Amino acid sequence: MQIDPSIKSRPTYTPPELVATAGLQLFVSESDAEHLLEPLYRQCAESGAQWLVAEPGNAPGTLADSLSGYLQHILNDAPVTTRLYVAGSEGFLWDIRNQALSAGLVDEQIQLAPPISSARRLFCTHCYTLMEGVTASPHTCTGCGRLLLVRDHFARLHGAYVGVQINAEDPDEQPEQEVLQ
Amino acid sequence: MSIDSIPVRVMAIEQVAPMIREFKLEAIEGRLPAFSPGSHVQVIMPGASREIRNAYSLCGDPATPRRYSIAVRLQDVSRGGSSFMHGQVNVGDQLAITPPANLFAPVMTARKHLLIAGGVGITPFMSYIPELKRKGADFELHYLYRSSQTGAYLDQLQQQLGSALHRYDSVQGNKCDLTAVLSGQGPGTHVYICGPESLIDGVRSTAAALGWPDSLIHFEAFAAPEPGEPFKAQLTHSGKTVDVAADESLLEALEREGVKVPNLCRAGVCGQCRTAVLEGDVEHRDDFLSNDERSSGSCIMPCVSRAAGKHLTLDL
Repeated sequence: MQIDPSIKSRPTYTPPELVATAGLQLFVSESDAEHLLEPLYRQCAESGAQWLVAEPGNAPGTLADSLSGYLQHILNDAPVTTRLYVAGSEGFLWDIRNQALSAGLVDEQIQLAPPISSARRLFCTHCYTLMEGVTASPHTCTGCGRLLLVRDHFARLHGAYVGVQINAEDPDEQPEQEVLQ
Repeated sequence: MSIDSIPVRVMAIEQVAPMIREFKLEAIEGRLPAFSPGSHVQVIMPGASREIRNAYSLCGDPATPRRYSIAVRLQDVSRGGSSFMHGQVNVGDQLAITPPANLFAPVMTARKHLLIAGGVGITPFMSYIPELKRKGADFELHYLYRSSQTGAYLDQLQQQLGSALHRYDSVQGNKCDLTAVLSGQGPGTHVYICGPESLIDGVRSTAAALGWPDSLIHFEAFAAPEPGEPFKAQLTHSGKTVDVAADESLLEALEREGVKVPNLCRAGVCGQCRTAVLEGDVEHRDDFLSNDERSSGSCIMPCVSRAAGKHLTLDL
């Protein structure tokens, strides 16, 4: 089955650019994506910039508690002129973005660097389980065991791609696995 | 089916500032449509040589839409609209208005609302404030006026808002320090400006210099179309040639000739009246078209823009 690569919900990413007028330059990354933000951070005056680093591999759909709490603390006192730069795995980018939106930021203030890998977070539409690091389709759901077609349709709320059962008519059918782009 | 106009009766007229008169309007038949905060209506006025349509914000509480209030400032250089409203409209008269439309709604998810009004630009906020208060929203009103001419509803606002009202009367030399107003605000603060172009430009450039994201800045100008040189508009579908006088807009000239063009704001912001141009150069005066669309010369917003030369050919 061919999926239209231009599916509208699938995010496109461009390397972040520094917005010099920001009142606070806020960087958030996973530790293995630091190199994506390093050049921007170096352009900032030390007083107006902060960088939070998380260990990669946070639990599906939830940030490591300490990072999330600390980010909330910063956002609560942040100026309206804050600019946020995020780098890491795709699910991480959207978790940070969603937390920032709920703190009052708008998308114009948030730049997400291209994800460090093509591994996807997957959302099972049948049992709502979130899975990290999915690299091939179909993928067996760790929640309900169904074999899921990994669609290009992206749910920003979950920071995840949507998975639907690929063999609902005949569960014995085992379509060949393809590596995701 | 869309409703073109609603006949209304003038119930009351009140002088709410030296140059501003408020008109209370009621439906002649049935009920007036409900409206949302920031809505406006067009008042359709019979001018001396042609029909005039001006957009006015509804300044009452949206929760009680049984009657509408509009406030009209007598313009120093009136194109006929404000002088008609001030000079010729009496209690009991019938007027025609369009149904309400809204191009300036508050963002109800905002953490805080900064309202900045200049003169008669207080009007849309008169419908915001009751709604924001009902929702328990955090907001401030910064009201710039000249007490010798404007400054409507001050007593009422002072009573309702207390310390959330910041008054700047230029007659008393009170200046509004926009940098101070816009500094130190937290995330999710949205700014709304209604007033003369100079105030809107001032707030936008101050905000940009401070690093505000554009999407938090909302504004509504109440500029009437500026006059220009007369020109001819050739219409390919109807075969008509329409003469546009120096003091009327292309949209008004088209309407005078019975050519209907959808429109809402009549101020170059909403995009409804966009019309394809087949020939002729355009002097763009709108805030709607992108730079690419302008330079391509393929379309015009006839509510405010005009021919740069002596003629235009339109796809109408």
